[in-house]
Parts: sequence; structure tokens; C-alpha cells
Amino acid sequence: MIESNKAIRPKRGIAPAERWQQLQYSFALALLAVLAACAGPPPVKQETPPPVPAEQQAIPAEVQKQVREPARRDSAGVQVYPLQNPAVKALLADAAKAEERGDFDGAASSLERAMRIQPKDPEVLQSMAEIQLHKRAYQQALNFATRSYDDGARVGEICSRNWRTISVARGHLGDSGGASQAELRASQCMNTKPTSY
Amino acid sequence: MWRLFLLVFGVFLGLLVPWTLYLDYQVSSEFEGRKWDLPSRVYARPLELFPGERLSRADLEQELRFAGYRSAAAADKPGQYHVSGQTIDIFRRSFQFPEGTEEPRLLRVSLADDRVAELTDLKARQAMDIARLDPAEIASIYPLQKEDRTLVRARDVPTLLLTGLQAVEDRHFKQHPGVDLSGIFRALLANLKAGKTVQGGSTLTQQLVKNYFLSGERSVARKFNEAIMALLLEWHYEKADILDAYLNEIYLGQQGDLAVHGFGRAAMFYFGQPLERLEPQHIALLVGMVRGASWYNPRHNPERALERRNLVLDTFEETGLLSTAEAKSAKAQPLDVTETPQGSGSQYHAFIELVRDQLAQTYRESDLKSEGLRIFTTLSPVEQEKAQRAVTAGVDHLQQAGLPAGLQGALVLADTMSGEIRALVGDRYPGREGFNRALNARRQVGSVIKPLVYLLALEHPESYNLMTRISDAPVVLRQPNGKQWAPTNYDGLSHGVVTLLHALTRSYNQATVRLGLQIGVNNLLHKLEQLGVSIPIDAVPSVFLGAVELTPLEVTQIYQSIAAGGYSVPLRSVIAVQTSDGGELVRYPMRLMPQTQREAIGVLNYALTQVVQQGTAKALPGLLGNSALIAGKTGTTNDRRDSWFVGYTRDRLGVAWVGLDDNGPARVTGSNAAMRVWAELFKDLPLEPVDLRMPDGAFWLWVDDETGELTAETCPGAIEIPFVSGSEPTTSTECLAALDEDNDESFWSKWIDRKQ
Repeated sequence: MIESNKAIRPKRGIAPAERWQQLQYSFALALLAVLAACAGPPPVKQETPPPVPAEQQAIPAEVQKQVREPARRDSAGVQVYPLQNPAVKALLADAAKAEERGDFDGAASSLERAMRIQPKDPEVLQSMAEIQLHKRAYQQALNFATRSYDDGARVGEICSRNWRTISVARGHLGDSGGASQAELRASQCMNTKPTSY
Repeated sequence: MWRLFLLVFGVFLGLLVPWTLYLDYQVSSEFEGRKWDLPSRVYARPLELFPGERLSRADLEQELRFAGYRSAAAADKPGQYHVSGQTIDIFRRSFQFPEGTEEPRLLRVSLADDRVAELTDLKARQAMDIARLDPAEIASIYPLQKEDRTLVRARDVPTLLLTGLQAVEDRHFKQHPGVDLSGIFRALLANLKAGKTVQGGSTLTQQLVKNYFLSGERSVARKFNEAIMALLLEWHYEKADILDAYLNEIYLGQQGDLAVHGFGRAAMFYFGQPLERLEPQHIALLVGMVRGASWYNPRHNPERALERRNLVLDTFEETGLLSTAEAKSAKAQPLDVTETPQGSGSQYHAFIELVRDQLAQTYRESDLKSEGLRIFTTLSPVEQEKAQRAVTAGVDHLQQAGLPAGLQGALVLADTMSGEIRALVGDRYPGREGFNRALNARRQVGSVIKPLVYLLALEHPESYNLMTRISDAPVVLRQPNGKQWAPTNYDGLSHGVVTLLHALTRSYNQATVRLGLQIGVNNLLHKLEQLGVSIPIDAVPSVFLGAVELTPLEVTQIYQSIAAGGYSVPLRSVIAVQTSDGGELVRYPMRLMPQTQREAIGVLNYALTQVVQQGTAKALPGLLGNSALIAGKTGTTNDRRDSWFVGYTRDRLGVAWVGLDDNGPARVTGSNAAMRVWAELFKDLPLEPVDLRMPDGAFWLWVDDETGELTAETCPGAIEIPFVSGSEPTTSTECLAALDEDNDESFWSKWIDRKQ
């Protein structure tokens, strides 16, 4: 397909060079206007993350260092994964690949697809929380992690990732007291024995 | 003599030169300033296929038809499917999703017990975990000129289309200066021989000019103008540009008042396939239709179209574009035209209105109409069809049962957790445009508001739990206008002292007003706002009984928060918008906006399941023929003008409204009208029971259903209900105390043992 605004190139004669330039100019202007209209943020009441300059798009180490690694250390031996739908697993894997590429929007789309299949899967929700951390959408990170905790086993590695995400997000949102409280909750994820639900 | 000749020649030149200059101006301004407005395409949500998914064969086939797939003896081309028993082979087309292009793939779906048992990639002979179909195109948003096109470029289209067009319409296109004298001569001969017009001598350039400027009349003057303009066009522009314009400009069909221009759109319009996927027989049909798109319309005149197509295939063979074998096999093929053009469904216009509303916040209307955007939405075509059928059949049925003529209905169906709108019905008559009640009918909600009064109470665990007692006795209030207001109950009785649970499930008015007065009307208005509805409402006590006018969509937003356990999400109909070339993307991601005190919402969810189990919606399981745990609330307004039912499962939230447009008494109640419409839809949907797991800060206890005291599961009158932490009862039944005494001993003995 070609762009809708494409004007057709004249061969000879009648269109003087200036007119052609004008045409290109107005085309560029129109394109700019369209771009500007399209680039406006979607109308949402919550925080919109500031645009991240390209050189900063490298994957922040925060999620790995402050959430996943300590959670894995905490949970050595304790695994409380619910049985996962293979489709959800496949989408989680897609999301992880997109995340590795630094394509956080792509990762979020895969996770949204997974949520349509299993809306309350704690790992999907927690992964979404971590993607939101990458995108510096801290309020959303906090919300998804909280939801993952509510819907999860509230114990084990995911629980630890939940509270560590909440802690990091609270820190960024300026709630340092809440951040250390969440840190404490993370360490308790391994104390409680899984209760039967 | 000479003088006369010179005079005539001079006059002729004197007229011809300015006339030519005038035509030249027309041609060049038309051709150069040409900017084709592209309609925006609107897509449904893609169907996800995965093992374990609940999906009936009928629904899958319906989804395939909506997405423009054709049933075939074998699925061996993209866009075809083949059903054999519970096994469905689908040759999925390639499609550019917002996340990237998915390639064509031959899938086998094996169904068992209305579930996907297996999903296989037939070519790779591999089981798959998940695959998605390309989505149905549900609408196009058109430019004002009512022209529909998908732009293509000569270098991207199948070669056979370019060579074939020239073979049939203009063999000397490459050489002639716009007008082909030998072509005219040949046509003249052929016509003389046949005794009627069988060939036109127009070049492609002339045809393009005709499409641009001229009416269909056949006259010498028109032919003359056409020829001059064609010569001028060729003088100014490259052949390649003229061909590009031709491919996108030529008229190839009509859909209502919408003209189909160009081969790109025609391919989708007739075959449901992009141009590059067409086979020789398809291309031949389109080339043949250039001569007369309505005369050879394959949907209306299939025999004539087939004859024309085969004639064109013969020409392809004569000119060596196809081998004899290829032409023979192409001629043996059926016309292959889809039953209905994609995106023609007016059944979606109510939903499209919602899409426009959402996009209007980001885009200008003129962009939607001219920039060829690709809009990815949340609509489920199958659920939309079922929802419309439910409203139509449901309201028809109510009318037959004696309710007034002119009864209307509306229905909103959303995904509980994501807030994505799956279906929207704004009129009982399918396809009728006009007043969209789902979005615009602002009506009193009646008892549908009551759960919020109880929610506010549950948010005060120090004062209330579901077993808290309240008086359902007459209450008289003075309204701000000085009039007295004495609400009565639906059955005209007062029920004495009852629990909150009982008062809510039976929808008692007097108890609710009394509770509301303890809560405060301003708190209720504030709660409405927290749940996503901000409209000015008078702070009067009648608000406790739903003297608030809301649209079905607003009611859906409020209940989404409750059904999702307090995890509010702004309702969405659009997920992403992409430019026509698949470039720039605007996403509308899911945004969680959690409510505070979700533990109270968890407890309320339980109470709303009891409305269905034992309260005003007790008839629902019977209507559904299913006893899955469902939560809901009925609503009726004064003089039975409005009937509401809000109900939800784990995955789906539905809001139904029935009433009269003039707001007259309709003799409806929540359970006799709207609940029937709701059930009409939900009986055809998979029902996943409501998940009553309590969030942190709420838990289940066994209590006595009379006194609300703590009790044991084994004691008489024991019921298990959830409590917000801090609201749990502090006293126990005698039965529990007796059991505890036994336990106490062993507890103390253990304690002492350990101490030693």
C-alpha cells in the first residue's frame, strides 16, 4: 500500500518547480499534522509515562536486580506455581522474548492476550507489573503487582516478586516508608506456609 | 474559397487552442492534486484458538464466516476452511497485527464437548499451544465522497493483472500517445462484423479520463474531449503513474451508496482476499468487470460474470499470458465470490459509534475518514450477533406476553476483568441506525444502585457486616421541595428487622433508605464518582433507591469495578490504531485503577451471588438452564418504567435495559423483562462461575443465620459468609461454645505439655 497523500510526479512542463516544492511542503505539513494528531497520548486519567529517549531504551537493570534475582534467592526450593494453561505459557514466553528485545509495548500486548485467556493468572499479572516498571509507569506497576498478590497464592517466589515490585514502585513514587514496608512483606513471603485454598 | 477555408480554420483554431488549454488545466489539476482519501478499516478482536478453550463448532464456523473465510472441499488456499465432523481445517490468511505480521498457516482444530481438544499446524505436523485468526473487518469509516478503496501500486500487484488488463483493454498501452488509432480501427471492424458494439477502442488512459471527469453519456463531443484529455495526460505524465492511477481509480462495484474503486478494494470486496493473493481466475473476473461492473456483477449475475471471466481467460491464453493447461484449470474453477462483502455489517454500527467516541478523544473525525487508519477493536462478532438476537427475541417475547408495543431494549456485554466491550446493542431491531440506547438512553437505574449503599456500609467494618440488623419499616422524609416522600416496598409490605444480606438480596426499599440515611447521600454520590461516573446528581434521599439517570454503558462501568473485585479498568472498545502502511501505532493499553477497600467489594460480590441464589433474581438459573454461580442485581423504577438487570460471571459482565423511549409506564420489572433479555444472551455463552476468593483483609466464617453469632459448620443454622476484617462477630452460639470447651481442654493440655 502507498501513502494516501502521495501526489503524482509530473513528467514535463506545466508544474513549475516551485509549485512542486510547495506541494511537497504542504504534504510535509499535512504529514506533520497527522503525526502530531496521532502522537497524542490516549485519553487516560492516570499517569502517562514520559517519552523515553532512544538511548535509554536499554532494558533497565532494576527489575532483574531488585525484583527477580532476590525473589529467586528467597524462594530457593519453594515453588508454588499453579498449573498453567499452555497457551498462557506460550504468551508469557513471547512476552519474555519481546522484553529481551526491549520491546515493552509488544510484551504488554502479549500479556494482555494472556489475560484474556486467564484473567487472574498471578504470573501474567506480575510480568505485566515488571513491564510497567521498565516503562517507568510506576503506578501501574504497583497496581498490577498488588492484583497479582491478591489473586495469587500469596506465598513463594511470585509473592516475593509482587512485594519487591511494590517496593521499587513506591520508592519511585516517593513513598519510602511504604517501600521498606513492602520490602519486609517480600521477606515474609517465604515464612508463611502455603495454606490450602 | 481559400478565404472561406482559412476563416473556418481560423475560427476552429481560435476555439480549439483555448479549449485545449482549458482541458489541460483540468487534467493536470485533477491528476496532480490527486489525494485519495482512504477510509479507515475497523477490525474485530481476533479469535484466539488454544487447547482447552470453550468453543462450539457452530461458533467457530460463524467466526470464520464473519472473518470472510469460505467453506471448501479442502482447505488448500488461504481464506478457506473445511469441516469434517468435529475437525475443522483452517487455512489462515496472513495478517498484519499491531505486533507484526503473522504468516499464512494451515491449522487443524479438533473439538470435543464444545472445547478445543487439539490444535495442530498441519504443514509442520506439530501441536500448537495457541494461534489466532485474522480478525473480521467489521466496518469502514468513509470519506465524504462515499468512495471505498484500498491503494495499490503497479509494482506490487500481480503481473497477470497488469499484462491481462493490457491484453483485454489496451494492447498498445506501452506505445500509444493516449489514443490508439489501430485499436479504434480494430474495434470498429469488430463492431461492424458483429452488427453491434462488442469492443471499445478506448485506451486505459481514456478510460481513466472517463472515470475522472466525464459522465457515462455516449456522444461524439464526449469522445473528442476524452481523446484530447488522454493525449494531454500522456504528454505530462509517465505511463507508470497513469497505470497506478488507473489501478486505484477504475470503478468496480457498488455497495449501497458506496462506490468501490480500484482493484485493491475490489479484491477484498468480492473475494475477501488481498490483491496479491488472487489467482488467475479471480484476476480474470476483475479484469472482465472493467467493461461493466454492474452488468457483470458476480453476486447478482453469476452466469453472465462466469461467461465474461472465461472469455477473458481465453484472451489470457491467446496472448500467451497463461498456458493452455493453466487457462483450462482456471476456467474449471467456480466464481469463488464471498457471500457478503467484508465489513458490510450494519449490525455493528452501535458498537462503531462507541469506537468513534473513544477515538474522538485522540483523532479528528476527518483523519478517521481520510487517513486509512487500521483500527483494532474489542468486539466479538459472535457475541455481538448473540446479543442482538437476545434483545430482539427477548423484547418480542415480552411484547407477546402483553407488555406494551414500542418496548425497546439495550444490552452491553463486557469482559469482566479487562473492561473490553465485546458486544453492544442499542435497538431491538437489528441493523437499525438511529437512537443508540446503550450509549445515549439516560434512564433512572432504580435498585441497580442499591449495592453501592451496602458497599458503603461494608466499608465501615466497625459498624456493619452482612449480618448487621436493620429495620425495614415505613420511613417518611421531607424532600428539598417540601414534599413528603414515603417509599414503599415492591410487595407493599414492611418486613421488620432483617439482616443487610436479606435486605439487599430481596431489594427492600425501606431498609435501604434507612441504611442510606446512616451512610449519607453525599457519600453515595462520591462512590459513584470513584467507580467512574461523574455526572451532576441532586443529593436527595431518593438517590438511595436509584433516582439517578445513567446510560447502560455507565452502569457497565460501575459494575465492572465490582465484578472485577475492585480492580477498575476504564471500559475500552479500541486496543490500537495503526497507520495504513502498518507503521506508527497508538495503543490504548489496559489500565488498572484499583478501588480502596477491595475487601468490602469482595464481600459485596458474595451478597450479589445471593441475589441470584435466594433473592429477586432467583428465577435466573431456571431461565439459563444452568446453576453456575452468577452474581446479579435487578432494578425497576417508579411506575415500572424501566427494567434493568446487571449480571456477571467470572468472565463476562452484561447490562440489560428494557423500557419505552417516551419514558412511559412499561409495566416492566427487573426480573420480568431485562433479566429475560440478559438470560437470552447468557444461556448461549460459556458460564464460568464467579470467583469468590476473598482478597487480603476479608475472610469466611461460619455464623448463625438468625443471630449472626459465630458458630461451627456442624451447628444448626450455620451459614458460611465473608467478613471484612474487623467486622467479624464477637459472640458465639451455644453450640460453638460447647464445642470449644472440648477443644479448650486439649489446647491447654498441649500447651502445658509443651511448657514442660
